[in-house]
Amino acid sequence: MNRRAILTGAVFLVLVSAGLGVSRAFRPAVVSAASPARIPQAAASLSDVDPHEAFGSKSAPISMEVFSDFQCPACKTLFMTTNRPLMDNYVSTGKIYLIHRDFPLPMHAHSRVAAQYSRAAAQIGKLEPVQEVLFQNQEKWEQSGDVDGTVASVLAPAEMAKVRALVKGGTLEAAINKDYALGQGYHVNQTPTTIIHSNGQTYPVVGVVSYDVLHQFIDQLLSQK
Amino acid sequence: MMSSSPLNLRRAIIWIGRLLLGGMFLYAGYSKLFLPTMHPHPPIGIALAMFALQVDSYQLLSPRAVNFVSHTLPFAEIALGLLLILGWQLRVWATLTTLLIVGFFAAVVHSYAAGLQINCGCFANSEPLTIMTVIRDGLLAVLAVLMTVFAFMEARSPHPWSAPEKA
Repeated sequence: MNRRAILTGAVFLVLVSAGLGVSRAFRPAVVSAASPARIPQAAASLSDVDPHEAFGSKSAPISMEVFSDFQCPACKTLFMTTNRPLMDNYVSTGKIYLIHRDFPLPMHAHSRVAAQYSRAAAQIGKLEPVQEVLFQNQEKWEQSGDVDGTVASVLAPAEMAKVRALVKGGTLEAAINKDYALGQGYHVNQTPTTIIHSNGQTYPVVGVVSYDVLHQFIDQLLSQK
Repeated sequence: MMSSSPLNLRRAIIWIGRLLLGGMFLYAGYSKLFLPTMHPHPPIGIALAMFALQVDSYQLLSPRAVNFVSHTLPFAEIALGLLLILGWQLRVWATLTTLLIVGFFAAVVHSYAAGLQINCGCFANSEPLTIMTVIRDGLLAVLAVLMTVFAFMEARSPHPWSAPEKA
């Protein structure tokens, strides 16, 4: 064996060892439900879900928490192009429990107000149409700041009165802050961020992903059950 | 004489490039396949589907292309990493490595310029794509280009101590 081969082998062994060392060093970077530090948080987040803010069956094999901001364009894209078909094909069939989490970013002037209206609508069982109208008309109310008018366009006057009363009541802020704190616990710092729980593992997905690619991931997870 | 020293700048950069880029590619491919940050490790099928989500979040490729890239890139990275470290047919693999890294750099610059709030996906961890990612990938692209250019120069006028390379 010549010197070059010995040297190459030695370098390779050093790099493999270094790679294993690096992998240990990076271990906490990805949220893992099985990691001792993360178990209480993941378990708590799923056991403490406001049923008004979730879709599907709580006993579904996969749970998805979507940290979203109503004023964020990428959140709109995720909602319109990915989460809607996901609702039709996986949530309504009992395979996914989809949880909406408010994560209003401070840089968006009206997103916290929109989150309040959405939460109030959820309390009267109207989360889906209000989410839809807020995302669909995002550019309009972003300019005008007229969140109230946008929400009123899809609710009956009596429903809208209840929503306004809940918003004025000021009790929704605490729930929004709780979602925000939960997101920070997951190291969410951008929207949309989707946290997928399956089989004791937690998979963070940051940004917009297409339905075609996401459903393959979901099918892979379901096949492991 | 400096030119006859085995440790001149040209050879040093080739060695640094081979070891750094080779080691980095090996780890990048390994981490995408085995998700070492997760315990217990998910099966490779799930790891590749997870990587596909990261590739897709760049919003540059069709779903079909995303699947192709996500299912071939980790293996290509491991193969390129090994070949760079071994140094066999260096000019060929250095050129391919450079093309790949320049491609990564272009994707990162495009996504950063477009304001996408995504993870890099470089090492299958939760590293956000920031200006630091752009700078790091830019420096790696420069190193890859230099390594490749110097590998070609070295092949034309090899050091007397080196065995002639047949590429």
